[in-house]
Amino acid sequence: MSATITMEPTSTVALPDVDKSLRAEIDASTRLPVVLFYGSAIFWLLVGTGFAMLASFKMNDPAFLDQWGWLTFGRVRPAHLNAVAYGWASSAGIGTSLWLMARLCRTPLRHAKLLVSAAVFWNIGVLLGIYGILAGDGRSIEWLEFPNYASAILFVSFGLIAVWAVVMFRFRQPGHIYVSQWYLLAAIIWFPWLYSTANLLLNFESIQGGAQGAVNWWYGHNALGLWFTPIGLATAYYLIPKVLGRPIHSYYLSILGFWTLAIFYSWNGMHHLIGGPFPAWMVTASVVASMMMFIPVITTAINHHMTVRGNFGALKWSPTLRFTVFGAMCYTLASVQGSLMAIPTLNSVTHFTHYTVGHSHLGLYAFFTMIMYGAMYYILPRVVGWEWPSARLIRWHFWLVAIGIVLMVVVLSIGGILQGLALLDPEITFMATLDYTKPWLFLRSGSGILLTAGHIVFALSFVLLLLKVGSPKVQPTLFASQGEDKPEPLSL
Amino acid sequence: MNRMSVIIAGIFITFFCSWIGLVAYPYLALGRYLPFVDEDTGDILPPPLSGLAERGQQVYASSGCIYCHSQQVRQIGYGSDLERGWGARPTVARDYMRERPAFLGTMRTGPDLSNIGARQPSVMWHHQHLYQPAVVSPGSIMPSYRYLYQTQKIEGQMAANAINLLPPSAPPEGYEVVPTYDAEALVAYLISLNRNYPLPESPEP
Amino acid sequence: MINDPNQEPLSDTFEANREGDDLNVRHMHEAILREKDDPRDGYEPIPLWLVSLFMALVFWGGAYLAFNSGGFQADVFNPSQVSWAGGGGGPKAPPDPLVVGKRLYTANCVACHQVTGQGVAGQFPPLAGSDWVVGGDWHGDNHLVNILLHGLQGPVQVMGGTYNGAMPAWKQMKDNQIAMILTYIRNEWGNEATPITAEQVAQMREENLDRREPWTQAQLQAIPAKTLNESVGSELPPSEDGELMDGNEPPDAAVVEAEGSQA
Repeated sequence: MSATITMEPTSTVALPDVDKSLRAEIDASTRLPVVLFYGSAIFWLLVGTGFAMLASFKMNDPAFLDQWGWLTFGRVRPAHLNAVAYGWASSAGIGTSLWLMARLCRTPLRHAKLLVSAAVFWNIGVLLGIYGILAGDGRSIEWLEFPNYASAILFVSFGLIAVWAVVMFRFRQPGHIYVSQWYLLAAIIWFPWLYSTANLLLNFESIQGGAQGAVNWWYGHNALGLWFTPIGLATAYYLIPKVLGRPIHSYYLSILGFWTLAIFYSWNGMHHLIGGPFPAWMVTASVVASMMMFIPVITTAINHHMTVRGNFGALKWSPTLRFTVFGAMCYTLASVQGSLMAIPTLNSVTHFTHYTVGHSHLGLYAFFTMIMYGAMYYILPRVVGWEWPSARLIRWHFWLVAIGIVLMVVVLSIGGILQGLALLDPEITFMATLDYTKPWLFLRSGSGILLTAGHIVFALSFVLLLLKVGSPKVQPTLFASQGEDKPEPLSL
Repeated sequence: MNRMSVIIAGIFITFFCSWIGLVAYPYLALGRYLPFVDEDTGDILPPPLSGLAERGQQVYASSGCIYCHSQQVRQIGYGSDLERGWGARPTVARDYMRERPAFLGTMRTGPDLSNIGARQPSVMWHHQHLYQPAVVSPGSIMPSYRYLYQTQKIEGQMAANAINLLPPSAPPEGYEVVPTYDAEALVAYLISLNRNYPLPESPEP
Repeated sequence: MINDPNQEPLSDTFEANREGDDLNVRHMHEAILREKDDPRDGYEPIPLWLVSLFMALVFWGGAYLAFNSGGFQADVFNPSQVSWAGGGGGPKAPPDPLVVGKRLYTANCVACHQVTGQGVAGQFPPLAGSDWVVGGDWHGDNHLVNILLHGLQGPVQVMGGTYNGAMPAWKQMKDNQIAMILTYIRNEWGNEATPITAEQVAQMREENLDRREPWTQAQLQAIPAKTLNESVGSELPPSEDGELMDGNEPPDAAVVEAEGSQA
């Protein structure tokens, strides 16, 4: 049966029409936890960006601020990763998940105090962890650099969140479980399992070195694929149809996408170690799993694309939609790139180079962070009770970060490939391979400046929103006023 | 899918499979090595580290060396590590059995260090390189680790472990640069990095 | 602020209460009023080409896994190996000095003497075509072995050039390893000379057991040259006092162990 592309769904299961006032109640009940998590996230975004710029400048000029041990590159770089991964991305993801779960479970948020405690613990944990890294207690295990005293606190915090989530699901309104809820439930279950296992085996009581790499990258890749990706996809699956008022293209594709992701993604970890000291079958299994990822990725891409199709014009006005669709497209791009990078022939070029760094930013920034921006632009007005004060700030934010991240990924990819090809040729001395990368690293610092500016603009926007600056608005703040030719009022 | 039990069961089972394959199995197969004992020479391979080198491992971790340096000699056909002289044979899991953690690394902003102790066996070279990498290796973007060293006034004779430095980092007249304990430990660890001993599971190519 | 979900919804009285509402609540409700319904699912079928792609990938994946997994053994590390035809049994062939010597040279000597055996001008002397290596003029095999055992310091004259690096001692290596390295360098880069054996190295080591410092060129020249097929003479200049110097420190125990392993 060939795919018949229809604009109208062939059938829909109508959700019980939620009373608008119930929605208001839900939004009000989520206010404190969401604002706390979002506020923390934006704080850590600025901190993490600061560390990123330091690290990037130090690669351009190694003498930059090199008199202090606490600012040495080997500490600033993991401080950046942890600040943006656990500080920004996880907090933003948790804040978004709370609101989504409350809305999708169609019940006001219960036990907000649990979440407030979780937010406090989370921030303490990240703060202690970053301090520990700069002080020299970093473990030098990628994605798990936090010393034990910090990771334990994070785990406690997450335990509170997981308990809260289980209670929410328990008390949800009966009925159809929407695809976003599958992803959120999965993320809530997978992440603490990942985090506790990895920390127990690598940090608290470390197993022999030969096995560590496997556990390390089982964790590292799954933090991306089974924590951030499900939250990002859940958000996109909610916001895209919600803003457009159209159904998700295909329930069956949603099912296929979810289960193939669950089955294949978790086996990808070893593709960080191709050619490395591990049994051949483990590496090969990861290569196969990485290629199989084409299925969930293409599935999700079709689902999203066909949902938006015909309505791309809305991207001109809606910040939520523009950020979210940008992110969703970059999800496809990053995943396809990742699958290709796992092919051993290509991997022998890109492994150990800046190409990998570009890829990770394509994933965590261009996909996940952009979707989080989209979520924040949608959710914050609702929980705060005030529309975004300045359309100009939103425009600046979008263009600065969009151009910044595209530039960053492009220059790191080019530099990385040149570096990789040079590394493959034993006639080229090692020092010469470095020379290939230097101009691209300078350009990367330039892209970082754009991103930093974008983050400052966004933080400013957020603060003005919290302070409820300006006059109250009835219409949402869009990129540009819709004017005479607007098709219909956008619900944003 | 409207039944929570189905969803949760699926979430658990799919994840459990990867836990078996990428966590439990590595622990069983790669996490319980005994060292290889060479029958002819009685050597214990990989050799145990000295106490100073074990402290040096911690300094290596604390300084974040893995963010630029890898420590794995890749398999044949997966890069030109062997041709570059970075090792006599590919590294295998047992080579890292004493490492806590194993510093496999994922970036080569700097060269691979699996066998740096074989390529650069001189303690003085390592101290000089850590203190002023750009002078010892022109074009290097490695930062200086001079915070691991102390500049002190020369009292009578120069200290036995004072390091020779070239301008522009040479200390002023009457002063010498001496490594701290951590610097000595780090260099002891780097010198110990030599995995060219043969293991049965990684024959010479 | 969390209301009892069993309470009656407020919608009936909502409009009536709107007038006196707090400004914020009203505007929040504006956002909610204009909101569309919650997302719902459409039911388009899965495209056939996607199913085909899935099947094709599964087939490819299975085949790739079967052929590149080294028999799923824990000690096969190279995915291109079909399985490891292990070499545990049987007597070991004696190592080929040119092969193993080259490996040891690459691992230990290229940093200074380079892969080409050309050295570095002013610092590290070349080995290619050098009398110090193959013999000639005042140079004998015994000098060469001594250099490997104890190292070299001070300026040296090699093939018309002066070199002032410091060669560390390599006495921590086993006799057969030193022998294989020397055999290799004596037969590479156009050099041709007799091999050096482990016994000869052992003998030179024994004769200079007390030596702590690297040799200077003058000290070596004072020793009469001997090709080591003859038995080596017994009288040698007394060794210097036992002062330790840089580059000749007792090596780490770990290095000794590692260097001591045989091929």
